[in-house]
Amino acid sequence: MIQMTEEHLHDLLKKMYLNSMEAIFFIDEDGNVIAMNPAAENILDVDVIRRMRSGVDESFCQTCKGYTDEKDLISCSKCYLDYPQGEFSSFQVYLKTRGEGIVPYAASYHTIDESRGIRVLMLLDLTKQQKTQEMLQRMNMLKYVIKAQEDERKRISRELHDSVAQELLSSLVDLRVLKYMDVGEDALNKLRQTEASLTRLLDDIRHLSVELRPSSLDDLGLEAAFRSHFKWIEKNYGILVRFSAELAAARYGSEIETVVYRVCQEAVLNALKYSGMDEVHVRLCEEQGQLLLTVRDDGVGFDLNAGEAKGTGLGLYGMRERAELVGGQFMLLSAPGGGTTVQLRIPISSFEGEANES
Amino acid sequence: MNNQPGFHYQEEIDKLRERFRFDFVSLAWVQPAEDRFVLTWQYASGNLNERYKRIVLHSGKGIAGIVFKTGKPMLIQNVAADLSSRDLFNYPIIVAEQLKSLGAVPLWEGKRVVGVLLAGYRTEDRLDESSFELFQQGLETEFGAFRVKEGAHP
Repeated sequence: MIQMTEEHLHDLLKKMYLNSMEAIFFIDEDGNVIAMNPAAENILDVDVIRRMRSGVDESFCQTCKGYTDEKDLISCSKCYLDYPQGEFSSFQVYLKTRGEGIVPYAASYHTIDESRGIRVLMLLDLTKQQKTQEMLQRMNMLKYVIKAQEDERKRISRELHDSVAQELLSSLVDLRVLKYMDVGEDALNKLRQTEASLTRLLDDIRHLSVELRPSSLDDLGLEAAFRSHFKWIEKNYGILVRFSAELAAARYGSEIETVVYRVCQEAVLNALKYSGMDEVHVRLCEEQGQLLLTVRDDGVGFDLNAGEAKGTGLGLYGMRERAELVGGQFMLLSAPGGGTTVQLRIPISSFEGEANES
Repeated sequence: MNNQPGFHYQEEIDKLRERFRFDFVSLAWVQPAEDRFVLTWQYASGNLNERYKRIVLHSGKGIAGIVFKTGKPMLIQNVAADLSSRDLFNYPIIVAEQLKSLGAVPLWEGKRVVGVLLAGYRTEDRLDESSFELFQQGLETEFGAFRVKEGAHP
């Protein structure tokens, strides 16, 4: 380290004042700005600077919108300008800036000249950091929402399947017993009708349960769940799903399986709604430590850059978000007249250990 | 009932299509109890593809399911205006055959609906209330083994 002379220090401090990214304000006892560095000038409104310069209003208050305390995001109670003895070594303050509106800054405020009551306020722009944090929070939030939704679907689905459907089934058995008892022709006819409608009801409940979340996904894995789902699609919409699975009944983490199932469900639904074709190809395989799902149709396709979605546009967004949740890659290929291909790649290497243990 | 002697459903719906200049006519009926009373389109005339054969409808679902459940004729004069596009895929036959204007009537066996006759156009507003009424009157009282009106007693 070089020997720091008085002169040298002055020079460095001056350079720091002039070139620092941090905005530096010197503020006197009354909360008036007595000096600010170029970085500070850059963020303040031109009007405010003019007023400060001409001495009309030197108060820092006209720029500051308040700081964050325990109670409020933006508060003016116990203002740092008025309570220098308060703990203000690090806090968050909101300033009205030039052209950018109200922007949060990380600030520190302390006395540097006790005798004259001069204090320094140093500010660092927080917007970028806050955006990062917001993104992180949103991702986490989304993860929770999707998980909560899946869990709730699973719960209701199980409830329907295990208790409601079972109860109904035993009533149905009771009813069938009645048929062999000594009852009149009229009663027998009515019994048959009731039996038929109860059977239909039981069927509906089972459908509902599977639609919410197929228990086969948890019990038997992706391939089985897909096979029954595609059969259902075929019956309901008259669309043929050509499914090829090359997984040898392998199992993955339940998070991954859920993502693959939901993304595929959505992609196939999109194909049957918009492609105009009556055939969809679905392929599920493993490739270079990745689980690969491909959903392809040879239908009308669409312009990826059109920006105008035929449906709500939420489906694609949702698929992408879900893929990101498990570190997967979501790819969409389409061109007008050229069909549409949806591809999902999820790295599975990290989950293999888990699967082996269980 | 499918093998009503002397009644050729394919021929009959072809004739119907000719007579009213429909683009598409189709006939669905309910399957017996062992198949859980699902509805399937058995015959079609003027179809674009074979998709109708794969469709299996439960009571209350799809055009045939609704007509079967309510026992009332159903008219969709303009698909684009009367059904939201998000709802459209719940009516697979409309999507598969690209119908734009259609009507469906129940076919009876005694007091029970056992079949659904659907007729439609691929141009908008071709079938309106008065022409749908004419079509219903044009059907005779019987269509093969079915009756066009609800019977008095089973």
